[in-house]
Amino acid sequence: MGVAELRKAELYYHKSVRDEVAKVLQESGVCQVVSASAPDAASVRVADWGEKLALCDEQVTHIRYLFRALGSFYTDPVSSLDRMLGERPILSMADMARTAAATDLGKISARVKDMETALGETRVASSQHKVNKDLLIRLKDFPYSLSVVGDGTRALKGVVGTLRQDQLDSLNTDMKPLAKETELFVCKGDDDAKASKTKTVWCVFMYSPVVEQQVLDMAVHAGMSLIEVPAHITGMVADELKILDAEIAKCDKKEAEILESLKKIAYETIPVAQKLSDYWNNMTERARAMLSSDTTESTLITRFWIPTESLPEFKKKIEAVSPDIALFDRAPIEGETPPTLMKNIDVVRPFEILTGLYSPPPYGETDPTPLLAPFFFAFFGICLGDAGYAIVMMAAMWILFRKYKRIPKTVKDFIMIFAYGAVATLIYGVLTGSFFGDFIDAFFFMAPIRAVKNAIMIMDPMKDPMLVLGFSLVFGLVHLMFGLLIGAYDHFRHGNYVDAIGDKISWFLFIVGLFLFGVGAAGALPEVLFEVSKVMSVVGALLVFWYAGREKKNIFGKIISGLLALYGATSYLGDILSYSRLLALGFGSAVIGMIINLLGGMASGIPAIGWLVAITVIVGGHMFGLIINVLGSFVHPLRLQYVEFFGKFYTGGGLAFKPLSFSSEYVDIAK
Amino acid sequence: MEYLGLTLALFGAALASLLAGIGSAVGIGIAGESAAGVMTEDPDKFGSCLILQALPGTQGIYGLLIMFFALNKLGLLGGGEAVLVTWNQGLQILASCMPVAFVGWYSAIWQGKTSAASIQMIAKKPEAMGKAIILPAMVETYAVLALLSSILMLMGVQLG
Repeated sequence: MGVAELRKAELYYHKSVRDEVAKVLQESGVCQVVSASAPDAASVRVADWGEKLALCDEQVTHIRYLFRALGSFYTDPVSSLDRMLGERPILSMADMARTAAATDLGKISARVKDMETALGETRVASSQHKVNKDLLIRLKDFPYSLSVVGDGTRALKGVVGTLRQDQLDSLNTDMKPLAKETELFVCKGDDDAKASKTKTVWCVFMYSPVVEQQVLDMAVHAGMSLIEVPAHITGMVADELKILDAEIAKCDKKEAEILESLKKIAYETIPVAQKLSDYWNNMTERARAMLSSDTTESTLITRFWIPTESLPEFKKKIEAVSPDIALFDRAPIEGETPPTLMKNIDVVRPFEILTGLYSPPPYGETDPTPLLAPFFFAFFGICLGDAGYAIVMMAAMWILFRKYKRIPKTVKDFIMIFAYGAVATLIYGVLTGSFFGDFIDAFFFMAPIRAVKNAIMIMDPMKDPMLVLGFSLVFGLVHLMFGLLIGAYDHFRHGNYVDAIGDKISWFLFIVGLFLFGVGAAGALPEVLFEVSKVMSVVGALLVFWYAGREKKNIFGKIISGLLALYGATSYLGDILSYSRLLALGFGSAVIGMIINLLGGMASGIPAIGWLVAITVIVGGHMFGLIINVLGSFVHPLRLQYVEFFGKFYTGGGLAFKPLSFSSEYVDIAK
Repeated sequence: MEYLGLTLALFGAALASLLAGIGSAVGIGIAGESAAGVMTEDPDKFGSCLILQALPGTQGIYGLLIMFFALNKLGLLGGGEAVLVTWNQGLQILASCMPVAFVGWYSAIWQGKTSAASIQMIAKKPEAMGKAIILPAMVETYAVLALLSSILMLMGVQLG
């Protein structure tokens, strides 16, 4: 049930046809290539494929670089959602190989790299010019040429610096003795700078080279911080500012030009690079898989797992490549761990995703997918439980399937889980009379269909919550007991009769017996069944007791282990009570819906625009309620499968079957 | 003293939405910090991160739900006459609100921490999304049970 039978195949072929063989292996999409289980000392790994892999990796690196460097210049006309739902051009590998041969990705990325470097340099230059400009603006009323502050002349040198306003007077006093040899020029600066004593002012301190040391000491004493003016700025401030402005404009223009051409390259390159990304990634996969082949002088051996049912067709395809190909296949042997390919009928297949999210079954073990599917279906329905929400979900999916005709299988399967959920929700919603909460009862204009709703409705969780709680728990009991029976079946299949009876059947008898006893004690069961329930629970309890203590040597050990095991019944109680969440989440949806309708009804009382507010509140509110409740209705039933149900029989731990095949992000690869 | 019952009942309703709301805000905040960290490295994980971040948000909704339930019971919604509540009945409603208020508060914070850890998990192993969702959902169980307790208790309180 559920897990496909695999065979281990060995393919022998001449090295001249290795490319064709690799192509067929990938195209068939049913072969998971593996290395030899015990590497033969005489055989060597195929070096050719190593070179190919290096080449592919290099191309993939170029593409990644281009995506990263050009991505911000490019707006994709196809949204990633559309792409995920299958809106992709159909191309064959041969088409893409031609494009790949015609495109020198290395050259393009080298060009882009150069442009990125140039862009960086331009930006650095521009910011340097801007820093210099800021400096000159401070000195804009300096009346002399700036050659003074650089190397100076024979008779005059100068330094630029900043000084606290309140130090200015003391510096002037210090300078008095050297009045002839020095001049302090204070830049005007902003008016408000003068207002505060602590503000700094810019000044140029000019002096005769003869008194340089004294002047510098004086400056330091006054707390002047010297500022270096770049050596190449030697003209009048106004002229230099003009030059800088021109330089900055030049840089800006150059930057704009580079950005413009990067954008142009992005629009030319990215659409191609996207296709090539799929091509080279698939080629990388191919080379990586084929690298585990072994080779002799001129023969190659590739080993892989293949589903038994795909074998005849694959044989036909591979033998068409060359007459000198030998394909041997055999069943898995002891000690090998074949991967797991879950295989279910179409109705159940979407639920494989849920099993896969947990862990696929080991090869040859029971696949829980068809077992959990009906329960997940029902639980989702009870948790969401609203016919209105179900109709919205169905309509949304109908639009989706109409708009997108080529949705990839995995995405479609995922949507299908919710489609099934919507069906269950509709059924449960109709049976409990829930349509957007209490929409039908809340608004007068729904009165005509109120009678219809009430006629179909079989129970009202709001009025009779104990009934819903009761059947939620019974549902839980059925789910758990079903899990135990599957566990027992698995043990029987492997010949572990003791475990089957002691660990699974015993609990089944004990718990079901107790449950029936409880129901019987309330007088709701025929006398015979009541008697049966007593026997069941006693036999079950004795079996549990015996199984737990069977390996203990002395009598006390046996008794203590047995009693402890019986105490484990509390965990079943906990497990069953956990299903009360079905009631709670169903309540959650119904009450949130009710609140939204109530708010809508209150809003409709607002004069004039009331109806508009009411519609906004009701539509917006129910959209919000739908999203929140769908999330909860997915997560909680899933937990019931993983924790409560799987806990009784399933551990997973298999390796998923991952055949060498085509995978793509930007194109649909035509077969 | 004639309104003491109503005041007590409102106090309960306020605590339900207040404490559970605080819990959810803290929980979502914790998970959000983690999500932002992961997304600086890999912005493509926005979808998965958002789902995991949203998980501790349900407690706040449960609190709100109980608050509305209580107001509805008191006749304070829909513009009709308020129901006359004795101080004893008011206390009963206050008590009914406690499970969702306190369990909601604490479980949301812990669920937020678990979500944050799960977000770190999918940063390294995106294929483990299923397991990453289940771990915080384990914490939520108790909020769901508290919600159930509050609903059943509120339904059991007899007014009139």
